[in-house]
Amino acid sequence: MTDELVLTLTVNGRPVTARGGAHLTLLRWLRDVVHVTDPKYGCGEGICGACTVLVDGEPVSSCILLAAQVTGSSVVTASGLSNEDGSPSLLQRAFHAHHAAQCGFCTPGMIVAAAALLAEGGNRSRTELREALHGNLCRCTGYGPILDAIEAAYAEGGEAGVG
Amino acid sequence: MFVKPFRYVRVHDVAEACDLLRDEEEAKVLAGGQSLLPLINAGLFEPGLLVDIAHVPAMQGVARSDGYLEVGALACHAELASNAEVRAGQPLLARAASHVGNPRIRNRGTIGGSLAHADPAAELPLALTALGATVVATDGRTVREIKADEFALSYLSTQLRADELVAHLRVPLLGPGWGWSFTELSRRSGDFAIVAVAVLLRCADGHVLEARVAAAGVGERPVRLGGVEAALSGATRLELPERLGPVREVDPASDAVASAEYRRGLLATLVRRGVDEAFARSEEP
Repeated sequence: MTDELVLTLTVNGRPVTARGGAHLTLLRWLRDVVHVTDPKYGCGEGICGACTVLVDGEPVSSCILLAAQVTGSSVVTASGLSNEDGSPSLLQRAFHAHHAAQCGFCTPGMIVAAAALLAEGGNRSRTELREALHGNLCRCTGYGPILDAIEAAYAEGGEAGVG
Repeated sequence: MFVKPFRYVRVHDVAEACDLLRDEEEAKVLAGGQSLLPLINAGLFEPGLLVDIAHVPAMQGVARSDGYLEVGALACHAELASNAEVRAGQPLLARAASHVGNPRIRNRGTIGGSLAHADPAAELPLALTALGATVVATDGRTVREIKADEFALSYLSTQLRADELVAHLRVPLLGPGWGWSFTELSRRSGDFAIVAVAVLLRCADGHVLEARVAAAGVGERPVRLGGVEAALSGATRLELPERLGPVREVDPASDAVASAEYRRGLLATLVRRGVDEAFARSEEP
């Protein structure tokens, strides 16, 4: 029961141990303590999805989750979706090919949310995709190309799109 | 985002949690944190200590017992929406859980947390009110049972004392002959409902024998609509519309989202739709 905690998490496949304030959200711990800056701070309420990361495979809002709550867990952020050799995954390539980013602020959360959907397997209609992604907001309103990219990733490789 | 630092402790049993809540100043329970952390991020709440109960084994999971589902307070919304026992035993609860927030919130948010937070438009307290569920609360020494429809007192306030936790919920199973529905309107998918309505109807030979109707978003806590329930008694499906007029027993307030008049009209519409859907479902094999 201290103000500071030493936490160990696996971040994008790499074990990381760091000391930080007990009050730090996972997002702040990632960005400010271990300098993994692809998840973004948007609303601070779990609504916009810019901070989406995978914790043990499940999408969560890292802005409303304390790092202390998930110590010992495996965290994957957008940059951790790349192939092992560092090349872009199928899903990342699809986002690139379909111009699925405008200002880019929502993109790290959007692509992590999409990766979680692909990892569930199966296929989804465009309507089902919209519903599944309703918790990720793009303030440029670039939803069309984003859905195009995810549909292309489904079509080209399904689960392999996770890379 | 730049919040005042606080301390954190993870506990492994209920007594340990309640002792901390008694002994430590400004201590608050943390489960999923999906309502608490937004309040902290917004600077609306500054705890001294968060007591993380998420790993208390006795408060996990869903089990079926004689006539009831025993739902651990730490069951998350995604689990309630997908759990086979819940979907078969009390589908209204599973449907209500699927309406909460977005997939990320459903992965972390808990049913006990939703009850204890007591947002007046929240789905799960509404479902538990309609279902006649029992809240089992404990201070680590004694246990008491509180009816779900009496649990919330007003906006964001409940009967829970500062050193008490919601341990689990006892939810009656859906009996034979019962139909159900859960309907809500929100401005965007994932928002809190403007108005939400939960209905349970027991029907036989084409007539309503028993009705349980509750609404959220029309007052300071979810409410049973006794007048609507009485009006439905004995009705056939074709008679339902004439039995249902304006709902006079609630007094909704106007706010930034909707006027009182709009909420009142929406409530009448959702009750009409919800009752018809529940009746139809009661006739399914």
